[in-house]
Amino acid sequence: MSTDAVAVIGFVALFALMLLRVPVGMAMGLVGVSGFAYLVNGTAALKLVGQTSMRTVTDYTFGVIPMFLLMGTFVSNSGMSRELFRAANGFVGHLRGGLGIATVAACGGFAAICGSSVATAATFSAVAYPEMRRFGYPQSFATGVIAAGGTLGAMLPPSTVLAVYGIITEQDIGKLFIAGIIPGLLAMTMYMITITVIGRVRPDFLPKGEAPPWRERIAGLKGIWAPMLLFLFVIGGLYGLPFLPRFTPTEAGGVGATGAFLIGLFTGRLDKDKILASLLQATRTAAAVFTVLIGALIFGYFLTVTQTPQKVTEFLTGLGLGPYGVLALIMVMYLVLGCLMDAMAMIILTVPIIFPVISHLGFDPIWFGVIIVMTVELGLIHPPVGMNVFVIKSVVKDVSFSTIFKGVLPFVATDLIRLVILIAFPLLATWLPQQMMNR
Amino acid sequence: QDKTFDLKISHWVPASHPLQKALEDWAASVEKASGGTIKGKVFPAQQLGKAFDHYDMARDGIADVTYVNPGYQPGRFPIIGAGELPFLISDAKGGSEGLDAWYRKYAEKEMKDVKYCLAFVHTPSSFHTRTKKVVVPEDVKGMKIRPADATIANFVTLLGGTNVQSSAPEVRDIIERGVADGVTFPAGSLVLFGVDKVTKYHMDAPFYVTTFVFVMNKDKYNQMSAMQKKAIDDNCNTEAAGRVGEPWGKFEDAGVDKIKAEQGQEVYKLTPEQTASWKKASEPLFKTWADGVKKTGVDADAAMTELKASLAKYNALAQ
Amino acid sequence: MQRAYMDRIIDGIEWIAAFFVGIVALDIFLSVLLRNTLNYSIPDSFDIGRMLLGILIFWGIAATSYRGTHITVDLIWGNVGPRYQRWIDIFATLVLLFVVTVQTWTLFDKVRGTYEDNVLTFDLHMPTWPFFAIAWIGDVSAVLLIAIRTYRLIFHPEEIHDPHVKVTE
Ligand code: NA
Ligand code: NA
Repeated sequence: MSTDAVAVIGFVALFALMLLRVPVGMAMGLVGVSGFAYLVNGTAALKLVGQTSMRTVTDYTFGVIPMFLLMGTFVSNSGMSRELFRAANGFVGHLRGGLGIATVAACGGFAAICGSSVATAATFSAVAYPEMRRFGYPQSFATGVIAAGGTLGAMLPPSTVLAVYGIITEQDIGKLFIAGIIPGLLAMTMYMITITVIGRVRPDFLPKGEAPPWRERIAGLKGIWAPMLLFLFVIGGLYGLPFLPRFTPTEAGGVGATGAFLIGLFTGRLDKDKILASLLQATRTAAAVFTVLIGALIFGYFLTVTQTPQKVTEFLTGLGLGPYGVLALIMVMYLVLGCLMDAMAMIILTVPIIFPVISHLGFDPIWFGVIIVMTVELGLIHPPVGMNVFVIKSVVKDVSFSTIFKGVLPFVATDLIRLVILIAFPLLATWLPQQMMNR
Repeated sequence: QDKTFDLKISHWVPASHPLQKALEDWAASVEKASGGTIKGKVFPAQQLGKAFDHYDMARDGIADVTYVNPGYQPGRFPIIGAGELPFLISDAKGGSEGLDAWYRKYAEKEMKDVKYCLAFVHTPSSFHTRTKKVVVPEDVKGMKIRPADATIANFVTLLGGTNVQSSAPEVRDIIERGVADGVTFPAGSLVLFGVDKVTKYHMDAPFYVTTFVFVMNKDKYNQMSAMQKKAIDDNCNTEAAGRVGEPWGKFEDAGVDKIKAEQGQEVYKLTPEQTASWKKASEPLFKTWADGVKKTGVDADAAMTELKASLAKYNALAQ
Repeated sequence: MQRAYMDRIIDGIEWIAAFFVGIVALDIFLSVLLRNTLNYSIPDSFDIGRMLLGILIFWGIAATSYRGTHITVDLIWGNVGPRYQRWIDIFATLVLLFVVTVQTWTLFDKVRGTYEDNVLTFDLHMPTWPFFAIAWIGDVSAVLLIAIRTYRLIFHPEEIHDPHVKVTE
C-alpha cells in the first residue's frame, strides 16, 4: 500500500473513532501508533508511545497549561467576576443596553486573568444573566452577549488555546499572549458598538436604567483592585514592564496561580472547599489537554513518515489561489470544523498540518495564532455545536438553544468583520509583541 | 543483488542549521559508497521525536541514524562528558578527530545498544552576556547564566552564579526579559537564534565545547551486506568525524566575525594569567568527571591522559 | 459497602493529582521569588518541577478517564437515544481501556530504562527514576479506574455520573 493510502485510511479511522466518542487524544494516539507500526515497525511504534508520553508530561514549558488553568479556577471560584460587573455597571449600566455593555466590559476584565472562554461564559451566566433579566432584557440578547463576551477569555491574555498553539508551533507563548491584547480590546469595542446599534435600531428591545451617583461609581471601582493587580503583575511581568520581575510564560502562570490563591485566601473568598475544587478542576482539564497533546504528537510522527504536511502544502500552494486565497480556504475549513468539535481539539488536530502551509506562504506565525484563535472561538458560538452556548444552557436552565443562537447572531457578524480587519491589518496583532523586542 | 535501505536520519535543530547539510552530505556519501543501495532522508527540527530522546530513537528503531547530545542526560554517558570540560579543546576539526579517535573504544561500553558512528564537537565557545563583562572566574558570582550543559551548570554554581534553564530557541527571550544575564553558546548559533541582539559582551576563548555523536540502529546495520556495512563504516570513522565537525566549526567561527562587525558589541580575548585562573577554578570539575567515570569501572586518569594525547596529536589541545 | 470503598479510592487518586498541581505552582512561585529577591536558585527546581508535572498529569489522566471528562466529539452521541448512547459509551470506554493499558505497559519500559541508564538530575545528580515511577503508578491507577468505569457502564450504568458539559478550553 502506498504511504498516501495509509495516510488517508489513518484519517478515516481517526474520524470514525472520534465520532464514536473515543477521546480525541486516545483516538489520535491509537491511529498514529498503528500507522507508524505499519509503515516502520511494531516494536519501534510501541517504544514511541512510552517515549512520547513521558517526554510530553515532563516538559517544563508545557507547565504553562496547568498553571494558567489553576490561576483561572482560583479566580473563578473567588468570585472576582461580581466586582468587575458591579464596577462596569456603575459607569455604563444606565445607557440603553447598558447592562450588556457592562457585561462585555466585565468579561474583558475577567478574561485578563482567566485563560478560558468557556469558564468566562459560565461565570457570567451566573453573574450577569439574572441582572439583565431583572431589568427586562430579552433572553436571547442576554445569553447572546454572554456567549460572545465569553470568547474574550481566549483572546485576551492569558489564553489556554493560544498557549497550546504556541506549544505545537514552537512559537514564544509570551509573545502570543501579548499579541492577543489589541485584537481582544478591538473585540470588546466592537461588541459594545454592536449593542449600541441594536439599542438604536430597536429602542423597545433594550431597556435603559438610571445613572447611579458618582460616589457609588467610585465605590464600585474599589472592588476591582485584585484582578487589576493580578493582570498587571502577571501579564506585565511577561511583557517586561519596568520595575516588575521578569517571567517566562510558565513562571507567569505559576506566579499568577499562587497570586490568585493568596488574594483569595487573604480576602476570605476562598475557603477550604473552594481551594480543593479549584485544584481538582485545573487537574482534570490539564489532564484532558495533555492527553490530546500526547496523542497529537504520536499522530504527528505518523504523519511525518507519510509526508502528509509537505504534500498538503504542495497541494494548497499549487492551486494558484495566491496566499490570501489559500488563507480564505483554510478559514472556511475551520468554520466548517467548528460545527463538529471544540476549539482545543480543532487546534491540536489541524495546526500541525496547516502551520507548514502558513509558514510557506510567508504569513507571520504570531499573527496566525491570533487569527486561528479568533476563528475557532467563532466555532464556540456558532450553530449547531458551540461550547459557550452549551455552558450557558447548563447554567440558565429555562432557555432554548435556538434562543441563544438567535441572540448571538449579531455578534457572529461582528466577529467576521473583525476577522477581515485583522487579516487586512496584521499590525494590530504583531505591533505590541514587537515592542517587547525593543526593550 | 543487495537489499536497498531507506534510512530515516533524524536531528532536532532547525533545517537552516549547518548540521542539516552535514547530514545530507553524510547520506550522499553513504549512498555513493553503497552503489546507491543505501539512501537517506533527513528529518530536521524534532519531526520524529524530541531532542532528548534521539539516542533512544536510534536504539529502538524509531529512526535509523540520529544526532545525539549525550550531555542532555547527565549520568547516562559519563565518559564522553570529558569533552565538555573547560579549556580542554581548542579547535573544531582537530577536536572532533581527537575526541572520536579517543572515544571509539569507550563507545563500545558506553553506547553498546546502538551502532556508534562518530563523535564530534562544535567550535570552542564561551560567555555572551548582557550587562556585565565576564573576564575572571570571580565575575560569574551573582550572575544568572543559561548553561550549555550540566558541566557548565556545575561550574556556574561552583563560581557562585545561578543557573537558568531553557531550550535553545528560548535563550533570546530569557535574556531579553532579564531572566538570565548571559549564556554560554557558540557564536554562530548566537546569531542564528538572534541572541546577539540582546547581548553585548562576548568572551573569545576556548571555554567549553559540546560533544555530539551520530549513532545508528543496530538491527538495521546488521541486516546489511558486507559491502553495505563497509559503506557505512567508511563514513563512521575519525576522518568522517572531522568532516562533520569542520564546516560547523567554520559556521560558528563566522559568527564571531559577524558579532565583531555589529555596532556596540565588545568581543574580547583573555590574557595567559586570566586563562590560568579559569583553569585553576575548573579543577573540581575534572575531579567530578573522574568520580563519575570511576563508577563505570574505567581508569579515569588514564582516560584523561589518553584524551589529552589524542587532542595534542590532532592539534586541538587548549594551551 | 464495597462500592463506597471504590469511590474512596477514586477520590483519593484525584486528590493526589490535585495536590501535585498545587506543589508545582508553589515550586515555580518560590523559585521566581528567590531568584528575584536573593538571586538564589533552588537546585534542581527545573528538573523537579517538570517531573512533578509528569506526576500530576498521569494521576490526573486517571481521574479524568474515570470522570468521563476527556475531550470528545459528541456530535453523533448527542443526537441519538439513551440506548445507543450507552453502546457508544461502552465502545469508547473499551477503546480507552485498551489504549491506556498499552500506554502503561510501554511506560514501564521507559521507567526501567531511566533506572538502568542512570539518568540523573541536572544540579544535584539525584536519580530521576523514582519520580518517573510515581508518575507511572498514576497510569496504573488509570487502567484500574477505566476498568471500574467499564464494569459500571456495562453492569451498573446508574452509577456513572458524567458531567453534561465538559469545560476543556
Ligand atoms: Na484570557
Ligand atoms: Na460551532
